[in-house]
Amino acid sequence: MILDALRNTTAEEMGLALGIDTREPKLARLHTLGLPTKKSEAYRYFDIDTLLSKEYTLLDYVPRSIQESDRIEIVDGTVISAPKGMRIFYETCELVDMEHFDPLYYLSHLLAPHVIKIEIDGDAHVEIIHRFTKSNALINYRIVLENQSNRHAIVYESFENEAIRDTLVLYGYDINVAPDSTLRVLKTQTLDAEQYAIVASHNIHVERQANALLKSFDFGGGLGLQLIRIILEEHAHTQMGHLLYLNSDSRRGTVSQIVHRGQHSTSSQEAKNILDGHSRGIFDALIKVEHSAKYTKAHQNSKAILLNKKAYMVTKPQLEIYIDELEASHGSTTGQLDEKQLFYLRSRGISAIEARKMLVIAFANTLIEKVKDSRQQERIKEEFERAFYAMQGEEASGELS
Amino acid sequence: MTTLAIENIHAKIGEKEILKGLNLKLEAGKVHAIMGPNGAGKSTLSKTIVGHYDVEVTQGDILYKGKSITEMEPEERALEGIFLSFQHPVEIPGVNNAYFLRTALNAKRKHEGKEELNAAEFLRLMKSHLEMLGMKSDMISRSLNEGFSGGEKKRNEILQMLILEPEVIILDEIDSGLDIDALRAVSEGINKMKDGKRSFLVITHYSRILDYIEPDYIHVLKDGRIIKTAGPELVAQLEEKGYESIIEDTAS
Repeated sequence: MILDALRNTTAEEMGLALGIDTREPKLARLHTLGLPTKKSEAYRYFDIDTLLSKEYTLLDYVPRSIQESDRIEIVDGTVISAPKGMRIFYETCELVDMEHFDPLYYLSHLLAPHVIKIEIDGDAHVEIIHRFTKSNALINYRIVLENQSNRHAIVYESFENEAIRDTLVLYGYDINVAPDSTLRVLKTQTLDAEQYAIVASHNIHVERQANALLKSFDFGGGLGLQLIRIILEEHAHTQMGHLLYLNSDSRRGTVSQIVHRGQHSTSSQEAKNILDGHSRGIFDALIKVEHSAKYTKAHQNSKAILLNKKAYMVTKPQLEIYIDELEASHGSTTGQLDEKQLFYLRSRGISAIEARKMLVIAFANTLIEKVKDSRQQERIKEEFERAFYAMQGEEASGELS
Repeated sequence: MTTLAIENIHAKIGEKEILKGLNLKLEAGKVHAIMGPNGAGKSTLSKTIVGHYDVEVTQGDILYKGKSITEMEPEERALEGIFLSFQHPVEIPGVNNAYFLRTALNAKRKHEGKEELNAAEFLRLMKSHLEMLGMKSDMISRSLNEGFSGGEKKRNEILQMLILEPEVIILDEIDSGLDIDALRAVSEGINKMKDGKRSFLVITHYSRILDYIEPDYIHVLKDGRIIKTAGPELVAQLEEKGYESIIEDTAS
């Protein structure tokens, strides 16, 4: 399938190509928004045209019997194992956000009429591993996450792949964070150019007095974009942190909309971006405060360090505010490693590479050290170090000179 | 015996030549004080010795134990045993003080073919020095120099010196911003390092620090050159008559 073929078509033609009833509202939304191009606001700095113009093999998603494991493993969009007692179903999605800004959110739903629904019990710690094994494939799946009121659950998400090439992964969450609960989702992903590209389109609804804490740690190269729309009801809170550490020709980042709908809702979003090689980081983040969201508190900040003169950071913090009774701020900075700090470390006998590593980690630490689980924190630090030394290897071989 | 020999060094920062044929020999086990008016080139001299990126050496050589270090990277000079206590130590948020210092010490031990210290061994070593310097134990876990007072920063420089055990120690305005107690603690740390082998280069505006760290030689730096070298008695003359008298004497 070539997704580009869906461009410049009528809704009927689009429905026919996707095998979808033309009365389906999601199809109407996709048609209205149109397939993204490099001129689309959310995809302006991402190489979407190249991804959509390739031909991919579509996979058959046949539910398999789920083996018992200590974590949820999803291989090419199908759950193959899960902890005992974990409630996982395939069913139609009832949580679709009909105001999502991302057309690929709707395309993903249309291509995956049955979503993987995971019901999180109590104060669970859930580990989800996504594994991709098929080359030249369009791997498309969606996950619905639901937690319980008055409970505090954590989801750790990571990604693995076999030696594949030229695959596109479309996936994402539809999450409902129950009233008076906390849901933490922590994602770590190291991508390699050419293996697979990923577009993750999420819809998160945070109910009254609930907390959604979302942390993403994205390392390496490749193409990857997460598009997140969060709705905050009364007294709801979200805290988002995004760490990007990119190399080579990577194009990765976050496009987000935080919508304050309820009174006294609060949000804080912090992005730290470290860009090496010819990479491009993306942080395009809108905070929208609706008329109904009096006494909102919303804070957003993005900081970037460029380690190479050819690296580039796109930062677009935006506020869209319809009320006066609120507290809001946003800001962004882009700079380089501090030469004085580097020299100070080197003057104590620390090599230039180690000194750079210390400063880069120091910059990232404000996000990494907020990860309370020490095992997960250690894992992130290890991934970070691997990415760091991979970059030094690239530089030493002169690939990025 | 000479540990460090600076031979006809010309150095510039940007387009401006600051050191203009400076010669200086540091002897093993001796304390050399460099004094001079503002703008004489005192801090440029210390930067030149440690290979600061601001400074370009255009002529001359610096020999450490007979070997040229002029082309060496800053970390190589440090591993060889040259240490600069900075006038204004930088703050590095997010870099843990103990982690930084253990990394530096283990780099040096590795360079010397010694076994690296593990975290527990290092902490014991670090704590043994903290008390003597009057430093609080929370300095271990704080970020390097972040939020430190002027006195704490200088004590932290001396802590690094005590742990790294360098052979040539350059103290750039170590007394600036210190109250009497801090000055005494810092001086005690420095004097502890005197072992008859190490060389000290104390760069200072004022004679106050020299009451605590007794110098063997006083060198007066003016306009990028050493214009006079004498014994400690020169300090009294400088105190009484100022730099101008020395400059006039030299000129005549």
